[in-house]
Amino acid sequence: MSGERARILVVDDEKVIRDSCTRILTTEGHIIKSAENGNIGLEVFREFHPDLVLVDLKMPGKSGMDVLEEIESIDPNVVQIVITGYATVSSAVDAMKRGAYDFIPKPFTPEEILLIVGRGLEKRRLLLESEALKVEHERIRRNMISLVSHELRAPLAATVQYLEVILGGMAGEIPSEAKEMIVRCDIRLQEMLELLRKWLNLATFDSPKMAEHFQDISLSDIATESIELMKSLAEEKKISLILETSKDLPPIKGSKVSLEEIFNNLISNAIKYNKAGGWVKVILYGREEEVWVEISDNGSGIDEEHLSRIFDEFYRVDGRRNAPIKGSGLGLSIVKKMVDAHGGMIDVESKFGEGTTFRIGFPKFFQRQKEG
Amino acid sequence: MEQIHLNRECLKLGKREEGGMSQKKRILIVDDDPDFAAAIQKILTSADYYVGVAGNVEDGMKAIEEEIPDLILLDVMMEKYDDGFNMCYDLKHDDRYRGIPVIIVTAVTEVTGLKFNPETDGEYLEADDYVQKPISAEALLTKVARLI
Ligand SMILES: Nc1ncnc2c1ncn2[C@@H]1O[C@H](COP(=O)(O)OP(=O)(O)OP(=O)(O)O)[C@@H](O)[C@H]1O
Ligand SMILES: [Mg+2]
Repeated sequence: MSGERARILVVDDEKVIRDSCTRILTTEGHIIKSAENGNIGLEVFREFHPDLVLVDLKMPGKSGMDVLEEIESIDPNVVQIVITGYATVSSAVDAMKRGAYDFIPKPFTPEEILLIVGRGLEKRRLLLESEALKVEHERIRRNMISLVSHELRAPLAATVQYLEVILGGMAGEIPSEAKEMIVRCDIRLQEMLELLRKWLNLATFDSPKMAEHFQDISLSDIATESIELMKSLAEEKKISLILETSKDLPPIKGSKVSLEEIFNNLISNAIKYNKAGGWVKVILYGREEEVWVEISDNGSGIDEEHLSRIFDEFYRVDGRRNAPIKGSGLGLSIVKKMVDAHGGMIDVESKFGEGTTFRIGFPKFFQRQKEG
Repeated sequence: MEQIHLNRECLKLGKREEGGMSQKKRILIVDDDPDFAAAIQKILTSADYYVGVAGNVEDGMKAIEEEIPDLILLDVMMEKYDDGFNMCYDLKHDDRYRGIPVIIVTAVTEVTGLKFNPETDGEYLEADDYVQKPISAEALLTKVARLI
């Protein structure tokens, strides 16, 4: 904005101030409009779309503060500078607390006003730039979501659906060697689908929207279902699944789908990063304000140096591309996001070679309301 | 287009056999992905259903008007993303069609996604069940059998 022609609005009831501002700023090449009171000022503002406004705080009629507030609600990226008498510096400070960029005390020299307006316009340039970046970032994100869900996920889903038909023998006999290869194709594509599902889950996660649909949820029901779902995976690896839940576990306020996601991720990790003959224990109990979930295993454990990073997106302890245990590294970042969305907290304790415990505390919002 | 036509014939065929003990149940797939539809069709025909396929809502509605199917598998993520939603709504608010079980099919069910979400959109949709693409033959057949 500096060096370019900017649009500046001056709102002041003193004609001298309006005229001198106009004169000084016009010589800099800016386009100036002025108004003698708040209402006219706002009218001009709406048509003029200025980059910067200079507003006198003390005017007859609508106060400068009200004018600033309305301007803020119309365009928060407009730079606001307050004109004030020496006696009212404290109200200028108030105005700045509410979002004005700077203030200039009356009377002022041409140099003073040029300096302050110059800095204000630089601020305006930065605001517009970051706004443009935000819009661009959002556009890229949306395009990416649409690309992943339609251009990538849909063809994969159709392909996997065909493989399901072929492997189910519905399209005729398959030679056994071919069948083995098709099974591998299916596994690899399923892994890719799972990665896309998780990525989409993170990219489109909207916690306020989710909170609108919170219901009473029994965590022991969720845990039971999740364990049921993981049974075959656990049997494959010869791992026992144990659920311990206190009898009158209170419900929490939450989203069923995302709580399932939390349990599925943590339990599947505890199975995946475990050894034959190992165990996975899910313990649920209520404590004063929270319901606690502990998911522990006696599997591989996580080395100290990795522990702080396992909740990062795409982070895996064994980060090699062909790591023997497959995964996207998104599971725990999803878990973290969803725990946060429930107002909960999660921490992890682990000893390399011995095992890992994840502990989540969910607030029982509902209980608290009832008691109060 | 050819496929759609052919499949409509299938639907009619089901009617012609009327009277026999083994009258086959008719399923209509409404999906704009011809490959996905063909795969699902194969699974269902293998389980002895008559299956028609429509590639968009318009053809889907035509097929239903011609002959009421015993179940509809409806993709809600078609070209215009609310097409399937609207079709489901229309069916469930029409006395002639309200009784047809509808299974919503979707490739995207994020937990709180921008798109279909059974938790938040379930009520509005009034579908009888939903499945996610891809789906195992077993799971699909179980869901279909439960509703038909
Ligand atoms: N119970 C556990 N025991 C040992 N290591 C674990 C455990 N849970 C997580 N980890 C480590 O933390 C990393 C990140 O876990 P996360 O669930 O985010 O991703 P992932 O399991 O690799 O992939 P995804 O869950 O997306 O399939 C894992 O790669 C693993 O190294
Ligand atoms: Mg995981």
